Amino acid sequence: MTSETMFTQSAALTMGVELELQILNSRDYNLAHDAADLLTVLEKIEHPGEVKPEITESMIELNSSIQTRHDSLLAELRAIRNALAEAARRLNLRIAGGGSHPFHKWSERRIFPTERFRHVVEVYGYLAKQFTVFGQHIHIGCPDGDSAIYLCHMLSRYIPHFIAMSASSPYQQGTDTNYQSSRLNTVSAFPLSGHLPFVQSWDEFTAYFEKMRMFRIAESMKDFYWDVRPKPDFGTVEIRVLDTPLTVERAAMMAAFAQSLAAYLLAEHPLKPLEDVYLVYKYNRFQACRYGFAGTYIDAYTGQRCPLKDDLFAALERVRPHSAALGATGALETLEQEVKAGTSDAAWLRQAHEKTGSLNDVVRMQSEEWMQEEAAIS
Amino acid sequence: MTEFEFLPRFPLPVNPLALFGVLLLAGVLCGEFTRRVLNLPRITGYVLSGLALGSSGLGLLDATMRDYARVFVDIGLGLVLFELGMRLDLAWLNRDRWLAMMAGAECVLSFACMFGALVWFDISPLHAAVAAAVGVSSSPAVVLLVARELKAEGQVTERSLNLVAINSVVAVLALTMLLSWIHQEYQSGPVTMVLHPLYLLLGSLLLGLLAAHLTLDLARWLQKRVEQHAALLLAMIVFLVGASSVLKLSILMVMLSFGMLVRNLDDEHVLMSVDTGRLGQIFYIVLFVAIGAVLNVANLAVSGALAVVFIAARFVGKSVGVLSFAHLSGIRPGSGGLLSLALLPMSGGAMAMTLGSAASYPGFDTRLAGMVLAASLLLDLAGPLAVQFALRRAGESHEEEKT
Repeated sequence: MTSETMFTQSAALTMGVELELQILNSRDYNLAHDAADLLTVLEKIEHPGEVKPEITESMIELNSSIQTRHDSLLAELRAIRNALAEAARRLNLRIAGGGSHPFHKWSERRIFPTERFRHVVEVYGYLAKQFTVFGQHIHIGCPDGDSAIYLCHMLSRYIPHFIAMSASSPYQQGTDTNYQSSRLNTVSAFPLSGHLPFVQSWDEFTAYFEKMRMFRIAESMKDFYWDVRPKPDFGTVEIRVLDTPLTVERAAMMAAFAQSLAAYLLAEHPLKPLEDVYLVYKYNRFQACRYGFAGTYIDAYTGQRCPLKDDLFAALERVRPHSAALGATGALETLEQEVKAGTSDAAWLRQAHEKTGSLNDVVRMQSEEWMQEEAAIS
Repeated sequence: MTEFEFLPRFPLPVNPLALFGVLLLAGVLCGEFTRRVLNLPRITGYVLSGLALGSSGLGLLDATMRDYARVFVDIGLGLVLFELGMRLDLAWLNRDRWLAMMAGAECVLSFACMFGALVWFDISPLHAAVAAAVGVSSSPAVVLLVARELKAEGQVTERSLNLVAINSVVAVLALTMLLSWIHQEYQSGPVTMVLHPLYLLLGSLLLGLLAAHLTLDLARWLQKRVEQHAALLLAMIVFLVGASSVLKLSILMVMLSFGMLVRNLDDEHVLMSVDTGRLGQIFYIVLFVAIGAVLNVANLAVSGALAVVFIAARFVGKSVGVLSFAHLSGIRPGSGGLLSLALLPMSGGAMAMTLGSAASYPGFDTRLAGMVLAASLLLDLAGPLAVQFALRRAGESHEEEKT
C-alpha cells in the first residue's frame, strides 16, 4: 500500500467544510482577479480555519477546521466569513456564495499561477476555465477505510438530496439555464467525474487505484472528480456535489445534515451497498439538478418513484435520533421547514432577478447576503 | 454666374465632420501601427499622429482646425472624466484611510518637490507654484485609457485611478487659487482670489449634484434597459460638457462630480452599469490626436533641461508619497513602486488651462510656459509607456494570454 492509499484514521463523525467563493469587483459585480492581494491582506487579520487560492484568480477557498458539532462549526465559519469580508472591504472587493457567477464570461478567467493549476489547464484546456464554478465540500471522518467505502456507497443514494438542498447556480454566462444547479453540468464534462466504482472494501479500492495508476490514468486521489470520494490522507469521505450556498449559515446546515446522515448510516448499517443505485444514479442526479426537490426520485432498493422532497422528509425522520445526539436538531428542523416552504437559494436568486431586472444587481445582493454587512458593522 | 455654380469652390472650406473623420482615421492607423509593430500603447500612436499633423509636423492641424475639433475633444474629455468619477469610491476611501492618506501625501509632496526645484532654478515663487500645481495632476485620460486598452483590473489599477481622480481635483483647485493670485498681481481684487475657486468648487458640485439626481430619476423611469441607460448617460455627459463651458465651470470638476455622485447617490441601484468607454472610443482617439497637435517640439530645445528637472522632482514627490503608505494600505510588496509609476502621465487638461492663463497675463513667465509644454510633450510620450509597464508588471493586464 502506497502513501496515497494509506487510510489515515480519524475520529468518526467529525466534519469539515470547504467553500469555494466568488471574488467580485464592487463596480459592476463581475468576477475580479484579486485572489493574491486578498490572501495577502487576510494574512494580517486573525481568523480561524484556512483560506486558500483556487484554480482561477477569481476564486478563493475557505476551509473550516475539524469540528464535531453544528454550533461550533457555524461559529467558526462566521468568524472566517467576517475576516474575509473585512479583508475584501479594505481592497474594495466583494465576496459572494452561489454555485455559479450569473454573467461572467469564462474566456476572461485567469488561472492562478501554481504548478498544479497550470497542469490542469494543460490537460483539460478550456474546461479548466469553465470550471470557474463554486462548490461546497463536506468531509466526514471515518474510523477506517472499509467504513469509508461503505459510507461512499450509501451516500450515493442521497446525492440528489444534497444537490437539491444546496442548488444555487440557476444562471450561467448571462442566461437562466432552467436548472436549479447548472454547476454540475460543468463538472460532468471531466473524464474522471462520476462515482466510485462498485468496490466493497478498502483493499478492493486500493487494487482499483493501483490499476488506474498503472494505466497512468490517475496519479493521485485528486484526479478523481467524483461526487463522493474517500480522502485517505484526511481519513474522511468527501461529499462534493453541493453548490456553495449563499450564506455560511446554510453551509453549516448542509454539513449538519451530512453528519447526521453519516451517523445513522455508520451506526445502523441499515442497508447493504447495491449496484442498482448506480443504475438510477444519473437519472436521479439529473432530476435534482434540473428540478430541485420537485424532481422525481427513484429508490433503487424498492423500485418506487416519488418526489425527491418526500424522500428527504423520510430521511430526516430516520436520522432524527442521531441528529439529536449530535446537537443538530435545530439545523435539520430549519432545513425541513425551508424545503416545505419551497424556499431555496436558486429560487432566491430568480426572485432577485425578477425584482431588479439585472444580473449585476443579483450578484450585488448575493454579495450582501454572504458578507452580512449590517451584522459585521454593528 | 456660370453653369458650374453647382461645383464646390476652391479652396474647400473646412468641414468639422470631414475633419473629425480624418483625425479619427489618422489616429486609428497610427495607433494600430504602434501597437502591432512597436508593441507600444495605441495612445502613443494617437499622440504621435497628432504631433505629425500639428504645428511641429505638417502644420495641417493649426489653431483654426483645432477650434473645429474642440467639440469632439471636449466630449472625449467629458466621457473620460465621467468614467473616472464613477470609479472614485468615497466609501472605499473612508474604509481604507491609508489610501486617503496616500492620496494627500502624494499631492503635497509632489507639489513641494516641483516647487522647490523650480525656485532653486530661479523661477519666481508664484509662477513656480502655478507650474507645480499643474504637475500635481496625473492625466486621467492616459491612465484610464491605457488601463482600458490592457483590460487591466486589480489593486494597482483601481488605486491609481482613485489617486488620479483625487490629484486632478486638488490640482484644479490649487491652480484656480493661484491664478486668482496672479489676477491680484495684475490688478484684480482679493475678492476674486477667494470667490473664483469657491465658485468653481461649489458650482461644479452643485451642477454635478443636480445632474446626478436628474439622471437617477430618469433612470428609474426608464427601467432597467441597458440601451436606454447608455443613451441617457451620453446625453447627460454631452449636455454637461456644454453647460460647464457656458457657466464657466471646470469640465474636469463638473464631470468628476457628476460621475462620482451618480454612483455614490444611487442607494437603490437604479442605474445599470454602462460601458461608457465603448461609447467614447472614437472621441478618445480624436482627443489624443488633438493633444499631440498642440505639442511643440521647439519647446524641447529651449526648456528641455528644466522640464527634465521638473519631471524628476514630480516623480520623486509622488513616489515618496505613495511608498510611505503603500505597505500600510494592504497591497502586495512591490505594488507601491508600480503605483507611483502609473501616476507619471501629466494632465493634458491642466496643461491647456495653463496655456490659457499664460496668454491672458502678459507678465507670465514665458520660460515657464515653455517648460510646462516641454514636460507635457515628454510625459505624453513616456506616460502611456509607464502606465502600460506598471499594469503589466503588476499582473493586472488582461490581454490575450500566451498559452
